Amino acid sequence: MTTLADAGSDGSTLPRIDRLGVVIAILIAGSLALPFVTFRPTRIAAGTGLRLFDALPAVVAMAVAAGLVAALVTAVASHRPVFRLALGALALAALALGAGAAGAFLTPADNPYARIAPASGFWVSLFAGAMLVTDAMVRLKLGPVGRLVALTITAALIAALFASGAWSHLSLIAEYRSRADVFWREAGAHLMLAAGSLAAALVVGLPLGVLAYQVRAVRDPLINVLNIIQTIPSMALFGMLIAPLGWIAANVPGAHAVGIRGIGMAPAFLALFLYSLLPMVANTVVGLNGVSRAVVDAARGMGLTERQRLFQVEMPLALPVILTGIRIVLVQNIGLATVAALIGGGGFGVFLFQGLGQTATDLILLGALPPVALAFAAAVGLDAVVELSGKGAA
Amino acid sequence: MIELSHLTKVYGGIAVVNDVNMTIEAGTLTVIVGTSGSGKSTLLRMVNRLIEPTKGSVFIEGRDVSMLPAYELRRSIGYAIQNHGLFPHWTVARNIATVPMLLGWDRKKVDARVEELMELFQLDHEQFAGRYPHELSGGQQQRVGVARAMAAKPALLLMDEPFGALDPIIRAKAQADLKAIQRRTGTTILLVTHDMAEAVHLGDRIAVMDAGHLKQYAPAADILARPADAFVDDLIGTVDRPFHYLTLGTVGSAVEPGEADGAPLNADASLYEGLGALLWSGRKTAPVVDAAGAPLGRVSLDTIADRAARPQ
Repeated sequence: MTTLADAGSDGSTLPRIDRLGVVIAILIAGSLALPFVTFRPTRIAAGTGLRLFDALPAVVAMAVAAGLVAALVTAVASHRPVFRLALGALALAALALGAGAAGAFLTPADNPYARIAPASGFWVSLFAGAMLVTDAMVRLKLGPVGRLVALTITAALIAALFASGAWSHLSLIAEYRSRADVFWREAGAHLMLAAGSLAAALVVGLPLGVLAYQVRAVRDPLINVLNIIQTIPSMALFGMLIAPLGWIAANVPGAHAVGIRGIGMAPAFLALFLYSLLPMVANTVVGLNGVSRAVVDAARGMGLTERQRLFQVEMPLALPVILTGIRIVLVQNIGLATVAALIGGGGFGVFLFQGLGQTATDLILLGALPPVALAFAAAVGLDAVVELSGKGAA
Repeated sequence: MIELSHLTKVYGGIAVVNDVNMTIEAGTLTVIVGTSGSGKSTLLRMVNRLIEPTKGSVFIEGRDVSMLPAYELRRSIGYAIQNHGLFPHWTVARNIATVPMLLGWDRKKVDARVEELMELFQLDHEQFAGRYPHELSGGQQQRVGVARAMAAKPALLLMDEPFGALDPIIRAKAQADLKAIQRRTGTTILLVTHDMAEAVHLGDRIAVMDAGHLKQYAPAADILARPADAFVDDLIGTVDRPFHYLTLGTVGSAVEPGEADGAPLNADASLYEGLGALLWSGRKTAPVVDAAGAPLGRVSLDTIADRAARPQ
């Protein structure tokens, strides 16, 4: 009886339509009309797009399509985040395994050079599925620890997918397989560039930020100079550093021995370091400025020395904002380090630029996807840390 | 004893504190009252050198405060402010322990002192020691702020609008508690407020500041009875003056022999409270009892009215 009355007073008996769900549904539906994978007789030959039902045995294609349609229906009809998360994850799993199966199914036994790669239909529905999953996670309002756990699970699942060999017939893995050693070496170089320049920016930027906070006269000039550096395009900055570093390498004894060159790791590292300084310094200043005046006044009035005030009160309270600066720098550097390959600095950019040169899409992806994944993981991970660091001081 | 001698602070050519001379007896509660911009906070902050005077000196027990390093001086003087300024990332216990820790007390002594203070300020140690400031009510935060200021048993406590952020009911309780604690510990307190009622209620002596000048410095009764000039008169407020005056005396001081009907008044209650009780219950007289409940006599509306009249 009550349900009838409720429905009447509600003014409508229609279920509410979820707007984002509609977008996701349209994307998934549209993706079914697009090619699921591309087949190429050789690595750089023009490809033929194959739709889901042409790329897989009928039963498997049915299973993948069923997973996608289930996610489509859930996206529109269900408001329960757990449901949406589960069906989104199911769709992603169906896509990943389907693509792998298509690789195995389509690879001709007599042509080891043929390449099968996921195509637009795959990517569009992957995007839609990922949107469904992330939206569900947002609605679940996961705490920072929950998000770190979710990130770890996702990373583990992706690692398991690659390790299982399910994708071994896909071109991306083929490209990886033929240069596995180089891949991990460049991965190391990439991390070294991104994280190393961040560490250097921390060591220099934090004290500079504190100085700018304490000495008003320093603040504006310093921030202005760093602002100008930030506006120089990365390619231009790399170029500008070649001459001075080359001169140092040639004229300063020992400089060449420690790896300083006009091209290579040194200018790339220096450029990333310079880009990192502004967010580091600016966030340190903003964080310290944000500490309540009453708290600073009380700290002085209690008799904390300037140093005690800085380390025991101001820095801990500014920490969430400073960590936000570190997050910005790390995400920015992971992306920018890709460009370092242009001046011989190494990193994932090596594959990207090689791939561009050879018009080998798979090689481009091999260089582009890892930094994207790394940047995403760094952003999610550090966001969680920022939130945790602000807990006691809400 | 604290002595302010020719104390002056000039900002951009304007003297916000202008040649103030004042002597504060040890063990008293002195209130500096004035409008905003009168220089009262600046005056207070020169005592612990949060602001360095342009001219003049502060002597505590005969010693010029400028002789000590500022941070050492401040550790010997309690300091409590409006909005309490508690360290949000430290627990209640750690906040209260701030100055003892700076002074390098050993752990046991610090813990014992924190417990003692929390009891003094009616904060259950078990329940509150581990909490963070944002988990407390406004009144509790204020009490922690004062407890922190008194942690190292300073002989002098400076308070800048300590009750400014509290609602009226909690403020009245906090004022009464402060008075009681001050009597118990004998701490010399110098308190800044813009509220004349608070000044009259709390202050043994009141210093009235206006535009950097010390206008009048006298016991509360004198300020009410004989304001030095029109400004002080204004600050007291002509309508409120008799009522301020009544807050200074107790019902016990106006007792006369005789009997009366109705609920008795406590001899410790102020005449102001006594007047309120009589007016509200529609009586002309009420019986008076001491703290133990023994009858002392009665108090009448007429007697109270006499006590509210301007002394001749």
